[in-house]
Amino acid sequence: MARITRRGFAATAAVATGAAVTGFPYVVRAAEEAAILGLWDFTGAYADVGPLMDVGAQVALEQVDYRAGDVKLRYVTRDGETKAGAATRRAEEAIASEKVGYIIGPWSSGVGLAVSEVAKNNKVMHWFSGGTEDISGKRCHRYGFQWAANPWTAMDAVLYAFRQQNANARRLYLFVADYAFGWSLEKYVGNLAPKYGMEVIGADRHPLGQREFSSYILKAAAKNPDAVFMINFGLDAVSAARQLHSFGLIPKVPLIMSWSAGVEELIQLAPEIRSNVIVGTNYYYTADNPVSKAFVEAYRKKDKQGNPPGYAPAAAYSLAHMTIEAIKRAGTANVQKAIQSIEGAEVEGLVGTIKVQASNHQSIRPYFVLKTKTPKESQGPLDFGTIIHTSSTPQPKELNECADIGKL
Amino acid sequence: MTFLIVSQIINGVVTGMLYALMGVGLTLILGVLNIPNFAHGVLYAFGAYFMLAVTQLIGGFWLGVLIAPFGVVALGMLIEYFGVRQLYAAHHDYQLLFLFAVALILQEAIILIWGPVGTSILPPEHLAGAVNLGVTIYPKYRLAVMVITAAIVIALWLFLTRTNVGAIVRAGIENRGMVEVLGIDVQKVFLLTFGIGAWLAGIAGSLATPIMGLTPSMGFDILPITFVVVVIAGLGSVVGAILAGILIGLAQSLTTIWFPEAAQVVIYLLMGLTIILRPQGLFGKR
Amino acid sequence: MRRDRYSFLLLAVLAIVAPLVLRPVIAAEILIFAIVAVANNIILGYTGLLSFGQATFFGVGAYISGLMIVHWDAPLWLILPTAVAANVLLAGVIGYLCVQRIGLYFIMLTFAFNQMFYFIAYSWTTLTGGEDGLPGVQRPEWLRDDLAFYTFVAVLALICLALMKRIVDSPWGRLFQAVRDNPDRAAATGHNVRLIKLTSFVVAGAFTGFAGAVYALLYGIVPVDAIYWLRSGDIVFMTLIGGSGNFFGPVIGAVFFIWLSETVSLFWNRWPMILGIVFALVVLFLRGGIVEVLARIAGVMRRRRDAG
Repeated sequence: MARITRRGFAATAAVATGAAVTGFPYVVRAAEEAAILGLWDFTGAYADVGPLMDVGAQVALEQVDYRAGDVKLRYVTRDGETKAGAATRRAEEAIASEKVGYIIGPWSSGVGLAVSEVAKNNKVMHWFSGGTEDISGKRCHRYGFQWAANPWTAMDAVLYAFRQQNANARRLYLFVADYAFGWSLEKYVGNLAPKYGMEVIGADRHPLGQREFSSYILKAAAKNPDAVFMINFGLDAVSAARQLHSFGLIPKVPLIMSWSAGVEELIQLAPEIRSNVIVGTNYYYTADNPVSKAFVEAYRKKDKQGNPPGYAPAAAYSLAHMTIEAIKRAGTANVQKAIQSIEGAEVEGLVGTIKVQASNHQSIRPYFVLKTKTPKESQGPLDFGTIIHTSSTPQPKELNECADIGKL
Repeated sequence: MTFLIVSQIINGVVTGMLYALMGVGLTLILGVLNIPNFAHGVLYAFGAYFMLAVTQLIGGFWLGVLIAPFGVVALGMLIEYFGVRQLYAAHHDYQLLFLFAVALILQEAIILIWGPVGTSILPPEHLAGAVNLGVTIYPKYRLAVMVITAAIVIALWLFLTRTNVGAIVRAGIENRGMVEVLGIDVQKVFLLTFGIGAWLAGIAGSLATPIMGLTPSMGFDILPITFVVVVIAGLGSVVGAILAGILIGLAQSLTTIWFPEAAQVVIYLLMGLTIILRPQGLFGKR
Repeated sequence: MRRDRYSFLLLAVLAIVAPLVLRPVIAAEILIFAIVAVANNIILGYTGLLSFGQATFFGVGAYISGLMIVHWDAPLWLILPTAVAANVLLAGVIGYLCVQRIGLYFIMLTFAFNQMFYFIAYSWTTLTGGEDGLPGVQRPEWLRDDLAFYTFVAVLALICLALMKRIVDSPWGRLFQAVRDNPDRAAATGHNVRLIKLTSFVVAGAFTGFAGAVYALLYGIVPVDAIYWLRSGDIVFMTLIGGSGNFFGPVIGAVFFIWLSETVSLFWNRWPMILGIVFALVVLFLRGGIVEVLARIAGVMRRRRDAG
């Protein structure tokens, strides 16, 4: 178990006191070692994915036997609690007591942005995957990297694929999670829809954590849309889909889950509910490349139910994978060298070729669009859909808000 | 527009009835035991998860609705008997804090037993799909929930007004001292009331499963709304709790038409307004 | 009063040692919560009112400080008094509405107001950043260094504690306890019970808001969970676990709470369960908190010594 390396706060504190008093450095390490912190949400709103992400990252490290070239890798985890306050404190603590030089995670954009500040202040490499544009936009910096596709890329791919499937659809009704992530996607959908001959006829913003969508659904139904386009995530999306079905709106009209967790969301929906859904996601487990195949096999062995990985564990795997790749290319545990080695590089990763843009640290990588299968077409409970489209068209330069990536 | 308003009103009433069930349970416990039950939300969650367990292990939707709430009653009574009861001598703050701790423990217990990922239960076959009400299409199951909750509320009302035990519980809400004077074992009344409150939370939880799904945090999500129901209703008013529940459901539903972002804030504004205009709550006597 | 002086001395020594064993930012966070817990104890321990909404003031203080820095780059000497003044006002209004009611209703109102402010902060994204939090709260130049910032916090914390001690020991402060022990008698002797409760509430709100304002500087971000009601629960937890019967009890509580959640979370992902169990046990068997344990141990030792 990777957790053996965990050390108690108290114990560390005690040793550190000893070190401070005696004047000896607390540990002298002979071989080069890099400590990677997996900051996962084991409690709080995203407690459902934290444990899965931990497993995903473990698979990546086990595959390389905890080594990146000559550098030994040490993996520690902390509970981010889906709370910025706790996550930043834990990150600070781990940087001090575990000599962490690399942070991966967490899951929530809000918390991720807070951790990004910690990474910047402490000069620690931070790989994140999530819906916020700001990591590779407004709040970009040299130490922060975004693995998820840019929302523009994602929305473009989803609208294109949806158009291919539904040639006559014109009118989209949007459900939007009411925070920065939702707004930027809403803006992109509004801008891109005309390009594919569609229009947004209504958009309702709902708070994050909304579980009761009936009043939104009634409003949407009254407008007779050709499709319901959802820009929300996790349990919000699952609840909305479930209720759209109970109101008889879907599968009559298609549902678009534009930024979906994939397996983790679809598995919560009964097959009848998800029979006419277009799903945009950062990862789907049938992705046809050797890295993905090896990952799926290893992950299913470790998962308690033997489920295939969805976006969350895949992201964790990939964040670890990209970090390992950076250290390997640098040939040293030196954080600055690792950053320089991955900037502008191309990595054969979980979703295919991933290009790390040097100017803003955005990954240019395929985004997946699936069409779900009806209960009849499905080959089993885990056969949710087929990949109908992938696209890695980068966000147009003029839309990116990262003015200056800054210095190391 | 009229259609939309009418359909939102129907919808508000349905959602509100679930809030009302929660609010009434909390009111009973609050009235008789004099504690705001911070574990009320988690009892609701257990109603849902026991429902899941029954449908998975035995099968049958209505069997689940029948059995699950009694599982919650057992849980509630255990909490009362081994925890809350030990604290009657202490200040009521400690009972509240104990229940808060229980809520933390039980929420984690849900994750340990059923895992962190949420799930859902489909409504029974004969209530699947929606009906056309003329003004709108509406899910059959939700309409059924409205009928069932109305029946529960009426049954509860009959119990409180027409039975001896009910009279004692009612007396407990209105005047606790009197119950003691009458020579009734107060401890038993407390246990019973906690049980009834737990049952109401349990049935609300099990009925809500096809609508809201199941997540470990569902209890903490509904708890604040339940508190607002009771604050607006006024302490100790069962009728008030029912009406306040429906009022909140309506407010949320109607706000969505014009200002969807505010659908959550509106219930707190409503509460603030009530406190300023009528501090004892709409139906509160003390 | 000599014992209090020793306690302060001990606290000062601990505050000097703390950054040697802990990362300065974490030590600073503990001290910030020590202020909050002691402030909460003025209402809980001294006045006998349980508030489940202290995060309201903590959060509002944090947002005020965050916003003033982000938008106006305001200096600290302006920010901290503004945060205090705003929270005096806010606690005055909320407190006025809450103290009209007693007991349970009071608790539920503080709780519900907390939720209300949380949703306002949550929904007013253009102002607060909502879910993503309010970023870019830069400390002034001279506090950039973590150790400098810790020193600053430590000094402020000691001043806050001394001030609060002065307040509860003042004649007016003693009325808090009179109201707690026997509100009817306090009223009968011509005191305005509601006004006394309100003062206590406002004092606590002011110090909590102050701590919140400092907290915003800690990690450079105001997260929305700073104002969430579970944080109010944490604050009550800290106060009680340390011991609400003693002025310094909540300080121990804050240290213990953060230490416990940091340590347990390393070993078990379901650590809030342990927290809940500890909390339940304290409520059931150890209502005096850690202070009571220490007192009992001291008592046993004294008896042994006397016997020997």
